Amino acid sequence: MPVYVRLRIASETYAMPVEHVLGVADIGQIRAVPRARPELLGLWNRRGRILPVVDLAQLLGVTRTGPPQRVLIAEARGHQACFAIDDVSEIGELGDPAEETDSDLLAGATLADGDLVGVIDVPRAFASLEGLSGERP
Amino acid sequence: MSDPDADLTELFRDESAERLDQMDTALLAVESGAAGAETIDSLFRNAHTIKGAAGMLGFDDVRALAHAAEDVLASVRTAGVFPPDFAAPLLRATAALRAQVNGTAEPVAGLLDDLAACRAGPPGGEPPGLAPEASTAASTAAASERVAPAPAADVRTLRVPAEKIDHLLDVAGEIMQYRTRLAHSLGGQAGQAQDVAEAFGAGERMLDDLKDTAVGMRTLPLAVIAGPLPRMVRDVARAAGKEVEFVVTGADTELDRVILESLSEPLGHLLRNAVIHGVESPAERDRAGKPARGRVELRATPRGSLVEIVVADDGRGTSPEVIGAARREGSLADVLASPGYSTAEKVTDLAGRGVGLDAVRTYVHSVGGSLDVRSEPGQGMEVIQLLPVALALMEVLLFERGAAVYGVPLAVVEKVVMVTQTLTLEGRSALEVGGRSVPVADFADLIGAVAPPLGERPPALVISLGARRAVVTCDALLGEEEVVVKPLGPLLASLEGYLGASILGDGRIALLVEPAMLTRRSHAVPALTGPSAADGRAADGRAEAPKVLVVEDSFTVRELQRSILEAAGYSVVTARDGRDALAVLDRDAGVSLVITDLEMPELDGIGLTRAIRAGPARSSLPVIIVTSRAAEEDRLSGIEAGADAYMAKGSFDQQALLATVERLVGR
Repeated sequence: MPVYVRLRIASETYAMPVEHVLGVADIGQIRAVPRARPELLGLWNRRGRILPVVDLAQLLGVTRTGPPQRVLIAEARGHQACFAIDDVSEIGELGDPAEETDSDLLAGATLADGDLVGVIDVPRAFASLEGLSGERP
Repeated sequence: MSDPDADLTELFRDESAERLDQMDTALLAVESGAAGAETIDSLFRNAHTIKGAAGMLGFDDVRALAHAAEDVLASVRTAGVFPPDFAAPLLRATAALRAQVNGTAEPVAGLLDDLAACRAGPPGGEPPGLAPEASTAASTAAASERVAPAPAADVRTLRVPAEKIDHLLDVAGEIMQYRTRLAHSLGGQAGQAQDVAEAFGAGERMLDDLKDTAVGMRTLPLAVIAGPLPRMVRDVARAAGKEVEFVVTGADTELDRVILESLSEPLGHLLRNAVIHGVESPAERDRAGKPARGRVELRATPRGSLVEIVVADDGRGTSPEVIGAARREGSLADVLASPGYSTAEKVTDLAGRGVGLDAVRTYVHSVGGSLDVRSEPGQGMEVIQLLPVALALMEVLLFERGAAVYGVPLAVVEKVVMVTQTLTLEGRSALEVGGRSVPVADFADLIGAVAPPLGERPPALVISLGARRAVVTCDALLGEEEVVVKPLGPLLASLEGYLGASILGDGRIALLVEPAMLTRRSHAVPALTGPSAADGRAADGRAEAPKVLVVEDSFTVRELQRSILEAAGYSVVTARDGRDALAVLDRDAGVSLVITDLEMPELDGIGLTRAIRAGPARSSLPVIIVTSRAAEEDRLSGIEAGADAYMAKGSFDQQALLATVERLVGR
């Protein structure tokens, strides 16, 4: 069975295929970018490389219960970006995402430990990030 | 794991492109009758080499066409004479070879026939089966353009994958940051050991050299992209029925490789516009009393850390209506670059639909440069691009606004000022700088950032970009630094206004701003009438208050002296000891008088006075020693060191101090 990183946003659990995950870190300092869309929280310094930080809650339409604590560094389509999340709960196998979901960004959902876990389609999520700019002031 | 086939193909493409450029240059020379024996030889060799390489790599179509060209050139070499009308089919051959090498080939059967026909015909006669274009070439006497001088031969070059150079530059950039951090930690320790200081200094010099070399590897001469341009101008002119002389100057001027690569398209645009919309038809030129051949120029000139690239023509220029609009808008570039604008009565395929200058301006701004246009009706046009030489490692001025750090290329910062008082003109704030009125704007407003209101006398940058200037206020100036410019990344590419970002020595991220974002609200504001102010004066017209440097390690005493002096109308800068004071004097040439304590760490008052007297620039700078040591021998040593006055703190008398200051400053 494929391996996923399970992550938590508010009371919801999501999973990301492990091959797209480069690492997880504490959120630290995010450099806000004026005029960027609200989903773009800002820029983050990862070992000398500047990466965008995206609020996964906003992307998925989840209401936050508090500020994000961690970032998950993901890679897809040759790009890297960070997703701001609450925490990572575990890394492990999950069944196929057979359940249907509404969201474009999810490949489906799967049942695990009594929770419905949305499986994030990382390449599609990245595609939706292009055009993350805002308007000219 | 690199693909050896792909690598070879890449090398073949690079090499063929170079050789085809050389062939084009030579063929244009042949067409204008300027070819010699060595031209013919080099043409033959280039065709021969391309044929051989293509054969080895299995590119049969290229091989066949190159072979056909080689045969023509062989017969020419044997005959010893190159009929100029052979040039046209050979030029078509080089164009077709280019297309084949780049994988965009079209059928060449007709061309192969034409080339075969050239081989068959006697030299000097008009060979049968030539395309009609070639006979037009033969009959038009003025069908020649001067070509760019060939790049200097015999320069040893190596082909290095771009990634290796980029990596080297990244490492050089990281070393720069490491050096800054090291400087901060070492500088923090007073009394740094002599040998440490020496080693550090030597390290600095070596790192500078390394950095310059790494950056230098990223720059290439304009000639790299200018090669195919004479050919393109010739083709466009021909198709448009114009006669054009094309001159390239400064092709050896160097530019960052990334900027250079993306410069080809805008240059092509501008040149096409110049030929199609600028230069008039020979008949029209005749009526206007101009020579039948129009002149189009590409000029590159280094200007410090910028390069000026001009595309100029001597054609019909802009219409009076456009000039009028430009006066209202403030800039000809803006009017001509507004989307949808076109100078042609009927738009042709070649020039595109009024998109030209708009796209060029976007490109120029995206690399942090500026665009300017100069033109008069009937007198041609100059399009001037100012581009940075090096994009990757850039000198920027860092500043803070709203608790975030930003940077702007140092090349566009004319100076920094403190905004004490502004004028209002037509509802906008302005500041008088150098006798001209310059609009003032809050950086936060310009960039669209949310930030608390500015302080009362905010520092500001005076930005000068082409014909525009702007005063941009901020919370604090952090200083100049050389930074590695990191792109924001493809996911943010559509966000306008940023050149990139940079990681500072303390790990913070600075957003680097496109200078054009700061000047976009500026337009030509009429110069103020009234007393002309020297640079840096307050805008209320008062003569600038004399500046006093207070050197004192006790914070309390320092601030006390500052408030006394400021209340009396002086402007005050401070230092906490002698060494600090010397640093301030190095930076600031406007200090008129120094008031210093005696007892201070690092460098005491006597040492400071001696140092001031020793330097030629400042030897007559008035120095007052103010101290709690009242003994006579201390006073004498102070005077001996060169102080102009010595006052004891014990009998510290405000009025006496002020009187002494006034006396000494008035000198």
